Amino acid sequence: MLKVLLKKQVAEVFKGYFFDAKKNRMRSKASIAAYFILFFVLMVGMLGGMFTVLALSLCGGLTQAGVGWLYFLLMGGLAILLGAFGSVFNTYAGLYLAKDNDLLLSLPIPVRTIMTARLLNVYLLGTMYASTVLLPTLIVYWIVAGATVSNVLCGILFFLIVTLIILLLSCVLGWVVARISLKLKNKSYITVLISLAIFGVYYFFSFKSNMLIRDMVNNAVLYGEKIKGASYGLYLFGRIGEGDWTATGIFLAVTLLLCLLVWRAMSRSFLRIATSSGSAGKVRYVEKRAKERSAIGALRAKEFSRFTSSATYMLNCGLGVLFLPAAGVLLLVKGRELFAVLDQALSGMPGSPAVLACALLCMLLAMIIVATPSVSLEGKSIWIPQSLPVEPKTVLRAKLSVQLILSCLPMLFAALCAAIVLPASAELRLLVVVTALACAVFSSVFDLFIGMKMPVLTWTNEITPIKQSGAIAIALFGGWGFAILLGGLYLLVGYKLGAVIYLLLWTILLAAASLWMLHWLDTKGSRSFAAL
Amino acid sequence: MLNIEHLTKTYGDKKAVDDLTLEIRPGEIFGFIGHNGAGKSTTLKSVAGILQFDQGTIRIGGKNILTEPVACKKELAYIPDNPDLYEFMSGIKYLNFIGDIFGIPAAQRQERIRKYADLFELTGDLGQPISAYSHGMKQKLALISAWIHDPKLIVMDEPFVGLDPKASHLLKEMMREHCDRGGAIFFSTHVLEVAEKLCDKVAIIKQGKLVKVGTMEEVKGDASLEAVFLELEAE
Repeated sequence: MLKVLLKKQVAEVFKGYFFDAKKNRMRSKASIAAYFILFFVLMVGMLGGMFTVLALSLCGGLTQAGVGWLYFLLMGGLAILLGAFGSVFNTYAGLYLAKDNDLLLSLPIPVRTIMTARLLNVYLLGTMYASTVLLPTLIVYWIVAGATVSNVLCGILFFLIVTLIILLLSCVLGWVVARISLKLKNKSYITVLISLAIFGVYYFFSFKSNMLIRDMVNNAVLYGEKIKGASYGLYLFGRIGEGDWTATGIFLAVTLLLCLLVWRAMSRSFLRIATSSGSAGKVRYVEKRAKERSAIGALRAKEFSRFTSSATYMLNCGLGVLFLPAAGVLLLVKGRELFAVLDQALSGMPGSPAVLACALLCMLLAMIIVATPSVSLEGKSIWIPQSLPVEPKTVLRAKLSVQLILSCLPMLFAALCAAIVLPASAELRLLVVVTALACAVFSSVFDLFIGMKMPVLTWTNEITPIKQSGAIAIALFGGWGFAILLGGLYLLVGYKLGAVIYLLLWTILLAAASLWMLHWLDTKGSRSFAAL
Repeated sequence: MLNIEHLTKTYGDKKAVDDLTLEIRPGEIFGFIGHNGAGKSTTLKSVAGILQFDQGTIRIGGKNILTEPVACKKELAYIPDNPDLYEFMSGIKYLNFIGDIFGIPAAQRQERIRKYADLFELTGDLGQPISAYSHGMKQKLALISAWIHDPKLIVMDEPFVGLDPKASHLLKEMMREHCDRGGAIFFSTHVLEVAEKLCDKVAIIKQGKLVKVGTMEEVKGDASLEAVFLELEAE
């Protein structure tokens, strides 16, 4: 039973990789392999690569100082933060909001089996994220400090303990979110605010990470003693990775005990929360004169409503809307210093700060992918736009316009801030703004294009199209890849053309690509939408 | 009002609808009956412009659904068998959304919403999110959204499912009234007693093919519609 339920959930997560919803048939073996290779490259190559660099910078210094446990404590903590943060809303939505909860509860399946299957799904997802930190952590340690039977076996158990802690935290936080959600109005906004606060803390430490790492390595023994003295538990946690069997045994036992307690607590409330429709007061209807809108205005308002109704949607597809203006303000404050350093360091490549500023803004822009899941999110309601007297291209343009608004305005602000502080000529400053806007337009059109190419309409949980689809992975990682390409290519060869010509060429290229994709959306894309 | 000529729709190797020809005139309530999987929903979806068919033509008010889809859809309202509406909207937001798409002036829209919401006793719930609605409430909301833009043709797939007896009675009255004003209704149902009492014309479809069509008297004669239907099914 459990296997069947788990298979159903995993199949749902990876459905887009196996099944072509547009053609209503299975993908070819080559396509499936290509999708999985792409996924693997993005997860392992980008996230894994980033954490491998971090592990390499920490491991040598800390193990030489005799505080290898501090290395495991830091990296384990990072894995927990990454895995648990990514899974909190998954747990809530996956456990309590799945559309097939009623169906499964009506079948002769024990409630605990349904809960276990859902939890295993959360565990797998959390483990997937945590692995990008934990695997480099362990491998780097085994290479740097040398692999022994003890530290390899304890390392594997360290992996298990950390992933179980992630599951525990996800469950507890997910349960808290569920309890709060039953009581609150405007919960999507409140959830976003709480998440942003967590993000703030996360990014504050990320921003300071280089300094912290350097400080940590230089004063490893001192900090090690302080942590050990203040919290012996944290010391024991780090010792697991070094091959300490006592620490491993204690942590494994405590973690398993906590798992059991959380399991018991959750199984008592699962049925009540999963079947509850919430106790927030009933909204009283007061008749008001409606504001008339055009058809595209109504469709756009509908898309905005969809976006703001879901914290999961806002957090996973719209964070850049806040990050871009924040980056703009940061550039105004610190930009002059930063660009001066860059200008000096890359003096052989004039104009580098301008190009790198564009690349940086594109990096943040990649976190606005509202249009990508918008087609899939129509789900079973797809009959509404299809049966209404509007052209499919109008529906698609409404979806596009939402992302254009959400990306172009913050991008314009951030680019203007960058242009103000850049040590560059007036024409280069202007071009930075123009190129940044071209990037915003291109990314909006591309995100809808990829969402239209890979729609998934048959989901039972909105997390599937918002977070777990192939289209989302391509839009997000593709955006980051593009930003790296924009900056990297200039440093490799582009500087020979000069920044003005380089950015001008990119602007023309992006405009041409945007126009081509727009034409595709108006013609083939619209026909595909009508046929979904 | 609605002309379907030689409509054919195939799923893989299976012909869901096979050379179907029907005509529905203004003022007619046209019932469409058949067993599960006979091709009723496929036909209704094709008429609503949701499904692309392989052969044939569908004309609404003389306009071809393939070449003038938007003009055709302005004349019709479609209600599917399962009212999957936008759950993130409140009832009133959804109705205003439909009003905007059909360009209904605000005052007229407000008046119609008030009228039909009061009739279906849904007014008090219009501020609630649709996700909090029961199946029956969603069905009522879908019906209100169909009626507020005063379409000429209303296409409904199993419209009585989920409605309470009072709402069912009201819907039948509204259907009659709509057709008395010159509109037309094309709907599918498994409730043969309802079809027998309500419909001016009826068509029976079996394995995608039309097996009988005509006025209620022509189709059933002296027998009951149920008897005729079961007899045709047994053949």
